[in-house]
Amino acid sequence: MDRRTFVRLAAVSAGGAVAGCIGGEDSNTVFDEPYIEDANPEALAYPAHGEKLPDVSLPAPLQDKNMSTAAFVGERETLLTFIYTRCPGPCPGMTAALAHVHVDAAKEGYSDEVALMPTTFDPEYDDTERLRKFSKQNGADPTAENWVILRPESSERADEVINGEFGVGFEAYEKADGKGHGGHNSSQGEPLNPDEGDTDFTHVNLVLLANRDGYIERAYQEVPRPDKLLSDLKTVRNGY
Amino acid sequence: MRRREALAGLGSLGVFGAGAAFAFGDLGLSGNEERVESVELPQIDAPGSTADTAVVPESGRVTYVTMFATWCSTCKAKMDPLNEAARNVADTVQFISVTNEAIGQTVQPADVAEWWREHDGNWPVAYDEDLALTQALDASGVPYSAVIDANNRVTSTELGYSDAEAILNHIEDAK
Repeated sequence: MDRRTFVRLAAVSAGGAVAGCIGGEDSNTVFDEPYIEDANPEALAYPAHGEKLPDVSLPAPLQDKNMSTAAFVGERETLLTFIYTRCPGPCPGMTAALAHVHVDAAKEGYSDEVALMPTTFDPEYDDTERLRKFSKQNGADPTAENWVILRPESSERADEVINGEFGVGFEAYEKADGKGHGGHNSSQGEPLNPDEGDTDFTHVNLVLLANRDGYIERAYQEVPRPDKLLSDLKTVRNGY
Repeated sequence: MRRREALAGLGSLGVFGAGAAFAFGDLGLSGNEERVESVELPQIDAPGSTADTAVVPESGRVTYVTMFATWCSTCKAKMDPLNEAARNVADTVQFISVTNEAIGQTVQPADVAEWWREHDGNWPVAYDEDLALTQALDASGVPYSAVIDANNRVTSTELGYSDAEAILNHIEDAK
């Protein structure tokens, strides 16, 4: 069966059980149009607008149990991003964007209606303590129920899930000059954890916003401006 | 579940790494001459700064504002040139830094003040509580500096590092 047809049928059959007032007819999303991706969603490596959030179970070290990327589907909006804590640039930015949602939710009283899932593709370096510290530095409370960092069991599993299912295209390489991230020049300051390891990564920047029915509303291929992310989340929440 | 073709679509994304820098590259200037609304921001009690409010930009004089975050390594690196620029800038210029990080849970204004002390900040520092300034300036990353003239027109913006001389030149251009 054609995959998209299957998705539509699944949505229809579930229609009675969930709020069915979003988007237009035949739509699983509040946003009618993709954010900036213009290719056919099926041709894109990552889960794009209107596609289903992949359902993969991974260790959640801060919660000390396994959790699925789709654990909150049916209940909450989910935001995912893909990071490593040694990253000098965009990963703290994407994590901080999720932290903005975390802080706004606490302030506005919707903490239990949103889930935030930064996912590391550097499990060998990113142990629980580093993930905890990274969360705090970026403004998120690592003990919060809605702050769920996912950490694949191994680099192989990270490749299988984060490249295979989420299309992040991360690739480890050996640092040539000890500075990391390839072309970062000296004017760009020191990486967050400058003293550890000879490995760095190339990767695309990706933040996913899935609605409570588990469909991608936004696939930001960038570090989203936090006010924009909050505004988009609000639009989705108001669509229900 | 099928394995997605990891490389399909990467062309439209732009791969990060190997020379590409998202928010911290030197993207140069892109003055757009747009007028921005002034916003009132809470200031932080820190060296050179009182727990007051700041109106940014201040109409009637030139403003040099730098958006930053304490988690950002380039923001740390930019503190030295900012410090040098702050020492040499005319009193008639509003010279201010504004953090737009997520304040309220693990990062509080007092943590920003501590960071400010550690990095020798000595001029007014505020935080963008509702992200109104971030939105108004379209601050697409940090550090992000904007020069705004006396009529609230943005004359230049810069994402990333710059030296003190460049900072002072941009300010001079707005007068």
